[in-house]
Amino acid sequence: MNFNFINLQPYGNPHYFIYLMIGLIPIILGLYYGRRFKIYECIFSVVFLFLIFDADKWQQGVSLIIYLLIELVITYCYLYYRKKGKNKTWAFYLAVFLSIVPLIMVKVQTAFPKAKIPGVLAFLGISYITFKTVQVIMEIRDGAIKEVNLGTYLRFLLFFPTFSSGPIDRYRRFAKECDVAPKRDQYVNDLGLATRYLFQGFLYKFVLGWFFGTYWLPRISRMALIAGTANGGLKLSWWLLAYMYCYSMYLFFDFAGYSLFAVSISYFMGIHTPMNFNKPFLSQNIKEFWNRWHMTLSFWFRDYIYMRFTFFAMKKKLFKNPVRLSQVAYLLLFLVMGFWHGLTWYYIVYGLFHAIAIIINDYWIRYKKKHKDKLPSNKFTKCLSIFVTFNVVCFSFLIFSGFLSQLWFGWM
Amino acid sequence: MSNKRRLWQIFGPVLCAFILLLVIFLLPWERTFSRDSIYQAANSQTTTVFKGSLMKQDAFENGYVPFYGSSELSRLDSLHPSVIAQKYQRNYRPFLLGGPGSQSLAQFLGMQGTADELKDKKAVVIISPQWFTKMGQDPDAFALYYSPLQACNFLLGIKKDSVSSRYAAKRFLAMPEVKGTVKRGMKRIAAGEELTDAQRFILENQRRMLNNEDKFFSTFQLRDRIKKINTRAKLLPDTYSVKGLNEVAEQEAAKNTNSNSFGINNRFFKTRLNKRNLMKLKDSQRDFDYTKSVEYSDFELMLQQFAKQHTNVLFIIPPINQKWSEYTGLSEEMYQKSVSKIKYQLASQGFNNVEDLSRHGGEKYFMEDTIHLGWRGWVAVDQAVKPFMQRPNGRYNYNIHDYFYTKKWQKEPHKIGSTDKSPVNYSLKGK
Repeated sequence: MNFNFINLQPYGNPHYFIYLMIGLIPIILGLYYGRRFKIYECIFSVVFLFLIFDADKWQQGVSLIIYLLIELVITYCYLYYRKKGKNKTWAFYLAVFLSIVPLIMVKVQTAFPKAKIPGVLAFLGISYITFKTVQVIMEIRDGAIKEVNLGTYLRFLLFFPTFSSGPIDRYRRFAKECDVAPKRDQYVNDLGLATRYLFQGFLYKFVLGWFFGTYWLPRISRMALIAGTANGGLKLSWWLLAYMYCYSMYLFFDFAGYSLFAVSISYFMGIHTPMNFNKPFLSQNIKEFWNRWHMTLSFWFRDYIYMRFTFFAMKKKLFKNPVRLSQVAYLLLFLVMGFWHGLTWYYIVYGLFHAIAIIINDYWIRYKKKHKDKLPSNKFTKCLSIFVTFNVVCFSFLIFSGFLSQLWFGWM
Repeated sequence: MSNKRRLWQIFGPVLCAFILLLVIFLLPWERTFSRDSIYQAANSQTTTVFKGSLMKQDAFENGYVPFYGSSELSRLDSLHPSVIAQKYQRNYRPFLLGGPGSQSLAQFLGMQGTADELKDKKAVVIISPQWFTKMGQDPDAFALYYSPLQACNFLLGIKKDSVSSRYAAKRFLAMPEVKGTVKRGMKRIAAGEELTDAQRFILENQRRMLNNEDKFFSTFQLRDRIKKINTRAKLLPDTYSVKGLNEVAEQEAAKNTNSNSFGINNRFFKTRLNKRNLMKLKDSQRDFDYTKSVEYSDFELMLQQFAKQHTNVLFIIPPINQKWSEYTGLSEEMYQKSVSKIKYQLASQGFNNVEDLSRHGGEKYFMEDTIHLGWRGWVAVDQAVKPFMQRPNGRYNYNIHDYFYTKKWQKEPHKIGSTDKSPVNYSLKGK
């Protein structure tokens, strides 16, 4: 019998879940009886990573291994430097910069395929690994992380349930859980949640996400293109509005579904990977939205870009006005996020759009505080603010989708 | 609460769900469709209907006649076969099977589920020479029309090894969409072996599940074109006359093709042939060759299937919009050669109902756009379909020749005029 190499995309189809569940059985039984089979876990993770990067994707696998080596060297060099009691700012900047160089090169390569940067090849999950390493380097700088166990660090970086697209865990949180088995009561609780999240994920990704993304979206997209071409000018049509809502729903259910799978599988493995979504479309303003949407990413940006920048600017007294400072910090945060999504106009505009939205929101909140007595606050205003926020967010997703680019310039 | 009990509460429902699902999909369910949904399905041209069995079976037993074709079937103007059949209360209704990219191989697979229902019945095939490119069936399009259910039917329906079953299996194996047990089964058939017992068992259960899936979900994504058909039918004269139909065709066509000099539907011209595309297409088809193609053998699979079913088939060979082919540089001589090769393949095996419209490409309003029949073309189609459907049916026997599965035939250059001199002896029994 000849063996067919297969490429399994994480959580892509029912087969994946069957293989996954079979592989998980020893881990689940072990944890239930208070034992954590670390070696088995590692083999299991490696096998599933192998299945992502085998066959014609093997170059990606090689790319991942080289990348890992680079990041390990950077992390341990910086750790060694810090352990010697030194803490120069330039060393910290250098370490962070070096650790994100591969990601930057990959992003440039993706944006300009003709550039052909030698030796650069994107692999699935590079962004999320980079988020994790940068986080570790920053916490080494703060002294919050004093010791990095190589095994734990590798397991953290390569933790396969969250490998391809998050949620982004924190090293210190992960390290506390990954060597011990949870108490049985606690673990049975986890199993209940894991099962619930798994099925919620099925509903989100394979039912609702399918309807919005596979069933309706292509039809709406076709109609929007036809109607847009017929109307001329900015090529606007009602179909475009339908596209906006449909895409937003698709984006949410697909990604939230995926995140639920990742959290669910983590729970089965006795690791409490943080949740990524918390009813984002019920947010009453943009700031709240970012506390509920892709939470681990926005918290990462908050902690490691927004807060860092704010402290830095305060120390250097760059701004006299704190309002101006937070505005600049928001702009920085969302621009970086935009660039991270990809070096294309619509991702960058998407970032700018959210920065401006959150700045306006801040103005409004300050105004509201000043005029508390005159502004009503009741059920109706709450619904109104949810409605407004929802539409602003959906509009930003329309930009994000790249469909406008397709509509106006014929490329995406 | 004890942990064991909690575990049961967590995993019990999951277990029940799986058992329930398995039971539901393995039980032999009965399902009937409403007349309306069959009528919708017949005109919806969705891939779900194409890939399924049950709706087609139901339809063919109730006065529907399969119209196998490709993208021309979606040119639903007032003269479309579906509209005409509806308006003049014909004793048949077309069941449209095919769409963009459904070539012979996809059609052959799609025919697997309805062999019994089409036994001794009639069918219409619109056979486009454009299918006969060097590589034949486009694998991407095949992926769209590939039905695992029909693949199971094909594999489990093979009684004994034959040239055609080997050829078919080899062709299916060339399509990347064919996977899993089906692929392994195809490999055995292609090698002239029988399926293993294990394969047979898996395929039978797979078929049972897929049949149920077909039963549950085939009405799910129907495209409703009935309203469209009814509005189009209103434009037709109340009493049937070819002259009257042609008048409507000319009026409609004149209104819909006034944006360009090719006689191409305005909407098609605007959306598909913008200036840049138009520039690109000029003289782009000079080297097209439909005379040497693996499609000839794929087409033979369809013919063999018809022969097996003793189906009485009307073949219609459409032309290309002449102004368009002159613009793109497509060779008329080559086109006629391929038509003649197709006709030879048909006639030499006893398929004698052939309506060759291939020389009508220069007639005004015959085509809806570049290569698709429309308006007056549909009227011409009806002039063949109407008498064909009126004739009483009999049991048709054909003489199938394995020669048409050979590379030699695929590559054979064919001379115009050789159609009548048939080197292969055939007899037509029981006409």
